[in-house]
Amino acid sequence: MSAVTVLAASGGGVFTPPGAELFDFPPLFAGGPEWLTKPVALAILGALLTCAIAWSAFAKPKLVPRGMQNVGEIGYTFVRDQVARPFLGKDAERWMPLLLSMFVLIWVWNLFAVIPVIQFPVASHIAFPAVLALSVYFLKIYLGMRHQGPVKYFTNLIPKGLPKPIYVLLVPIEYLSTFVLAPFTHAVRLFANMFAGHLILAFFSLVGYWFLIENPTLLGAPVGVLGVVMTIAMTAFELFIQFLQAFLFTMLAAMYIGSGLHADH
Amino acid sequence: MSEHSEAPRETGPSFADAAWSVPSYLLSGMAIWGGIGWLLSEWSGWDLFKPIGLIMGAGLAVYLVYVKYGR
Repeated sequence: MSAVTVLAASGGGVFTPPGAELFDFPPLFAGGPEWLTKPVALAILGALLTCAIAWSAFAKPKLVPRGMQNVGEIGYTFVRDQVARPFLGKDAERWMPLLLSMFVLIWVWNLFAVIPVIQFPVASHIAFPAVLALSVYFLKIYLGMRHQGPVKYFTNLIPKGLPKPIYVLLVPIEYLSTFVLAPFTHAVRLFANMFAGHLILAFFSLVGYWFLIENPTLLGAPVGVLGVVMTIAMTAFELFIQFLQAFLFTMLAAMYIGSGLHADH
Repeated sequence: MSEHSEAPRETGPSFADAAWSVPSYLLSGMAIWGGIGWLLSEWSGWDLFKPIGLIMGAGLAVYLVYVKYGR
């Protein structure tokens, strides 16, 4: 069920731009459990695909890599050099399994937005990025308390050597930022990008569909052509954003893990 | 893993830490001190406490990023 068919049916006589209803799905099949919707099925499919990619790339490694192992090693090297090492230094290798699978999973989830027939970015439902961000959040606090000490972790966050009254002003900001807003912005950054991207693609493809097929007029045709052109351009742009957001989410995860492992300065 | 592995780079992380922390510091600074300013406005009836709190919070957040990462 593609976005276009859903929206075209809801049209009527006037052009109606797509809205939040794009993200509401009924159960996958009649009589099925209510939670089993398209986004949930896609989330599971994405996880299985991630396993398949990792398995086919790394299950039987050869000294001279071929096929999937090449692809896997390019991905591994990228995540290690660009994400893990800058933030984790010598601990990078230990965290690679988590970071690489997180990167691949989110990228696959995001790519679903532009794959024909599937056409839905899983992360545009905030629950999915929220669970990932919360896992990283609890991991960060656990690592911090374990590696820096249960109390030391919280005091290490505060910069030292300032006049006493300044702390009254700064300490609440530090704690609110690190323990409340950081996981929030972590999840929302991915969610909002995927949500907006899906809306933009649905809007332009609906403009093309409406003015060229559903309701073609002489005056409307150029608008429809513009819609189609914009759909193609925006799909290319989305491909870039999808990669960028997967990279950023993983990078921030590495940063938070690093902040748990070592005190700031 | 592959042959073109580089030595771990030690530069950059603290700059990136600072850059990515700024939005959440700014938000929390404005939320806390703007919130306190709002409460003071409600309680005292002097409207200016709220904007003063918001600006003070943003300024303090920038200062906090500076003392954490910039010194």
